[in-house]
Amino acid sequence: MKIVSVHAHVNRELCTGCKTCAMVCPVYAVTVKRENGKPRVDIDIRKCVGCWNCEQRCPEHAINMEPCEPYPLQTDISRWDYKEIEALCRKARFHPQQVVCYCSASRAEELAAAVLAGAKTPDAVVLATGIGAGCGIECNQPIQRFLEAAGWRPERRKDSYQWYGRTTTVWEVSPEVKANHPGFRFLEDRELMDRIVNAPVKP
Amino acid sequence: MDRETISPAGPRISQYGVDPKYIVKRGAELEGMTGVSLRDLFPDMPKVIYPASQGEKNIRQKTEAALARINFSKIKSGNTVNILASHHGFTFLGGKPYAEMLRTVKDFVERETSAKEVRLRAGLGMRFRETEEYIKAHGLDEYFKGKALGIAPIDAGIPIETCLGTLYGLRRAYDADVIIHAHNSDVREVHFHRQVDRAVKPFGMSYARAETRSTYHMNMGPRAANFVARAIFDSDFVQSKYSFSIFMIMSPAGVVNIDADNDLYALNDRVTVGGMKHYGKIINLLGEIDECVVILDFPCPVPYVFAAGVIYANMVGANIDLFDLDNPLPPYTWYTETFYNERGKPLIPGIPPVNPAIKMVVHNYAWTGYPATFFAEHTPTIMVGREQAELFNRDPMNLNYMKHALLAENLDAAMEFAYRTTKTDKVIIFDGATGGVNVSRPLAGHLLRVSPQVNERVGQTLMPKWLAQRDVDLKLLNEVA
Repeated sequence: MKIVSVHAHVNRELCTGCKTCAMVCPVYAVTVKRENGKPRVDIDIRKCVGCWNCEQRCPEHAINMEPCEPYPLQTDISRWDYKEIEALCRKARFHPQQVVCYCSASRAEELAAAVLAGAKTPDAVVLATGIGAGCGIECNQPIQRFLEAAGWRPERRKDSYQWYGRTTTVWEVSPEVKANHPGFRFLEDRELMDRIVNAPVKP
Repeated sequence: MDRETISPAGPRISQYGVDPKYIVKRGAELEGMTGVSLRDLFPDMPKVIYPASQGEKNIRQKTEAALARINFSKIKSGNTVNILASHHGFTFLGGKPYAEMLRTVKDFVERETSAKEVRLRAGLGMRFRETEEYIKAHGLDEYFKGKALGIAPIDAGIPIETCLGTLYGLRRAYDADVIIHAHNSDVREVHFHRQVDRAVKPFGMSYARAETRSTYHMNMGPRAANFVARAIFDSDFVQSKYSFSIFMIMSPAGVVNIDADNDLYALNDRVTVGGMKHYGKIINLLGEIDECVVILDFPCPVPYVFAAGVIYANMVGANIDLFDLDNPLPPYTWYTETFYNERGKPLIPGIPPVNPAIKMVVHNYAWTGYPATFFAEHTPTIMVGREQAELFNRDPMNLNYMKHALLAENLDAAMEFAYRTTKTDKVIIFDGATGGVNVSRPLAGHLLRVSPQVNERVGQTLMPKWLAQRDVDLKLLNEVA
């Protein structure tokens, strides 16, 4: 769960229409067009999740974050049978109660609930939970692992840097790599990760 | 023990910290504080080339000497060259030595090769404009003729085929014919990298897309994660562009040398040994503190504020041996952070707690731009100043930080509360003091008393164990300063 407290606003005088803001937006809230030879950027405030990505990457410093009436991005896990949530978490190889987003302190169980509720793409997960609306970095793989575990294969939009693809996990490292590089402790770390994934849910 | 305190690093204008006008008093100005020289603690601390009276001239001279040993045959006539750098280098000693090393590399490569264009591509962490701020502050944009860029993990990516499958680098890191890896040897995030492939790490972090960074912090486990950078560096794609590496060699007291090598793994072994030898002692010394109040007082995010040449995150984990790979989890890593449930209970037995010696944290000055709520959740924290609290409340990575921290109007009020509630008179200040550490007098006495035992333990018992765990030849111990 994330509380959105700021929204992005563009200063059209400074904007050159480079589309960087649209490329880095995690929820496709930005559209860039040309009107009468001039760039026109529109930010859909109803979708803006207050992540600051556009403000941080705009080369012209043309975007400001302005306070808004705070509201949550949250999926209520109590609306689903916890067994279903737990099953999806274990399939994605997460413990339901472990953190999957350091910025919002969101747990795997909420990510699972969002996917069960119909989120089929990374941007839908962000809008449903706020996961991915902080640093936008570390939750990248948890989101993709959950979507894959649920059987979804979202198609990557070429006009966005939002996400590229799921990468490997410690469970998938080849026997050759493990054998050739024992100093990296693949087997012991896999055992540790297994202990976490399979630990009971505590009240 | 009656020494004056050492000048702390000054506040810096940045969008990630409060305006310096709000930093009205520093920890080092508090009554009862004193400065302890690192050389008094560890007499074998190596001689530094910076800070020194010759200033950046030393850096240029040592950089040129290191580059004179490099084979430049990879750089062909008309090639474009990217010098790959990282924001961390600019956080040492005001950033001047790292900036000078980068300038010297550019000049040398232009002089010695027929490269068409030499550019700077500097990676960053989670503060996507931080590197841009450093580039401007050190005039690197002009020096590189407009070809100096900060590259962020959410920028355009490029797939890299590796022995771990497809990983993703940053397109602009690799958009040249040749790359040069220009980094530093500070152990810094030893809680993450555990001094395993320290010199290789930026290939999986500073020069990498969010997918790869998330692989490191979420997919692999705390020690196996360090293989991610090696997989990328060893890939055909990176090897087709890689020329050489150059490192600013750090000790807790400052810059001790500039080292360069075409063979990154040879350089990595030297970095591994040097880091353990000097930083290992400081971090073990911090582990000898039985109780204390920590003051955060440096222009960096919470885990990165410096004392005695190491960062606060090292102090948070100093209750275990961070270099011992038989310890799977440090008390603070992002894996550790994920392994607590919402009520703060570990999901499995054996998760090491945050250093219990830290009785309270007084947050006098530290930046946003890094998810730091974990620290406030696990240690009583007092934020100094409403403006700083508001800054944290607006930061998308720290929306919950102030839910766990108290607010004090000023540093004196915060310290009065800290002394009264913790009942300790031991205080350590993470303020970037160069060549030493600012502490309260009782803590200074304690550190000076225990440092000889730490020196002996690290040198005679721990170093051989640490090196064996990393398959590094013990002979290197005598060769590395």
